[in-house]
Amino acid sequence: MVDIHYRLTQPIALEISLRVEGFTVLLGLSGAGKSSLLRAIAGLLPAQGEPYEGLPAHRRRVGYLPQGYALFPHLRAWENVAYPLPRRGARRRAMELLERVGLSALAQRYPAELSGGQKQRVALARAMARGPEILLLDEPTSALDVPTRDEILAELLREVRDFAVPVLAVSHDPQLCWYADRVAVLAAGRIAQEGPAQEVMETPNSAEVGRFFGYVEIGRGRIATDADDSGAVEVLVETLRLRARPAVAGLGLGSPARLGCRPAQLRLAGPEPTPPGYQRLDLTVHAAHREGSYWRLDSTTPVDLPLRIPRSLWGENPGTHLLVEMASRDVLLWPF
Amino acid sequence: MLSTLVLLFILAPFSALVFMTDWRHFHFVVGDLHAARVSFLYSTVAVAVVVALGTPLAWWLAHRRSRWWLDALVLMPLLTPPLALGILLASFYGPYSSLGMQLSHLGLQLSNSVPAFILAQIYGAIPYFVLAARAAFEAVPKELEDISRSLGRNAWHTFWRVSLPLARLGLAAGIALAWVRAMGEFGIVLIVAYFPQGIPVKLWVNLQDIGLEAVYPLLWFFFLVAIPVPLFLGLYSRRRAFG
Repeated sequence: MVDIHYRLTQPIALEISLRVEGFTVLLGLSGAGKSSLLRAIAGLLPAQGEPYEGLPAHRRRVGYLPQGYALFPHLRAWENVAYPLPRRGARRRAMELLERVGLSALAQRYPAELSGGQKQRVALARAMARGPEILLLDEPTSALDVPTRDEILAELLREVRDFAVPVLAVSHDPQLCWYADRVAVLAAGRIAQEGPAQEVMETPNSAEVGRFFGYVEIGRGRIATDADDSGAVEVLVETLRLRARPAVAGLGLGSPARLGCRPAQLRLAGPEPTPPGYQRLDLTVHAAHREGSYWRLDSTTPVDLPLRIPRSLWGENPGTHLLVEMASRDVLLWPF
Repeated sequence: MLSTLVLLFILAPFSALVFMTDWRHFHFVVGDLHAARVSFLYSTVAVAVVVALGTPLAWWLAHRRSRWWLDALVLMPLLTPPLALGILLASFYGPYSSLGMQLSHLGLQLSNSVPAFILAQIYGAIPYFVLAARAAFEAVPKELEDISRSLGRNAWHTFWRVSLPLARLGLAAGIALAWVRAMGEFGIVLIVAYFPQGIPVKLWVNLQDIGLEAVYPLLWFFFLVAIPVPLFLGLYSRRRAFG
């Protein structure tokens, strides 16, 4: 476990404190400063912070894998891995590391002769040859082909866990969080939320954070009841009463709140009765447009749900009413 | 098509060398071989000095942010007409300058001497090398130099293991250019070091003293000596680039 506290002013103002434990993902939009943070920790950008305050880059025991992996093109795979090692025994140790990432057969190849996933594993072996205290991965999924991405990522993470070094991966890809132990979300130059991965993904504390995990803001209301045993409250949206779950503490009776949900968790209501824990919503559809084989809802009341309705349901013209069901625990309340 | 024409345009004057040479009476005049030896030997020394001094400067220039005025300084010897540069060198290093006097007390005569000849070649060649080498270092992805440092290697190690090998193509081009400039340097050498005579000055002397027929054999020899270095460097760097 490593606690990180870093402050940057250039090229972007950031003040970050977060705990790196196991596989930690720092999620943020492009341009939010995620890569800059990693470069600062690696000593490649001027910044203040711990660990490694004041140490030059070559004295910091970090394993840094930039986007694209930055393998030395003039060195063979094993020479890349041997690069940080003392000359004596370097080749033997490099081959051992390549063996661990399953690439000893390709040791003689140049980086140009390796696939994206293979390059990534060579870069991982090279970073581990440094004997790092922390591994920094910059957008580990960005250079991978979509069809093989999950497979390669799973393999990479298995190897990373095998090395038993805390990992900080920065990404704009929320899918990476499914593999994470901890997740932190970077917004407006600070950590907007941090915690165990499941907790952050299931209960984002703001619309900003929620957006990464598929949540959208669907309306605003006022809390109308105290929390029941399950923690749910009733919220009044115009004349509609909805059951929802406060995502943060301190949202009491009468508090204004934003409502959020994941449209993918909604389902169309059928003739059967509403199951326990669920509620029905009668939506009036004001506008919709065609999106491939779907109708996309642009404006609905009393809450604004940007749902995609299969054209097989509505045919050539969008309907004007829609009955949907959603679980109370899937509707989150965020403070204004 | 156009490029073929341009190529022909560039090569056209050299056809004169083939047609004008009197092959039946092909012979060198006294001092020609000595001049060839002088040019070859001292150009090698000059290029070695140019590479040793120019490489760190080029690396430094490539790693600075704002450097337009530094560029202008490096370009100064290139912008100066060679004769004028020769005069400036003679004024600064020559026997009547205070530096020249102090150096001659130390036994180093920087006028009409081997060191003066090499000095003139260095001034003629170093800007070309620095420009080419700087471009070569600039083309090395900074990310690779960064990653080297993050892998625990200091700037010195990074330079030798990453920057230098990756810049080799451009450096080889720079060395080839420096070699050609040093071998062919005439204007600066004429003022600073008429003696020992290298090939360019000897060509001038042959033309003045004997005539055109004494120029061609030495010119053939010049190409024979001067061309293989850039040719070899070009082939070497290409082979390595894809190897």
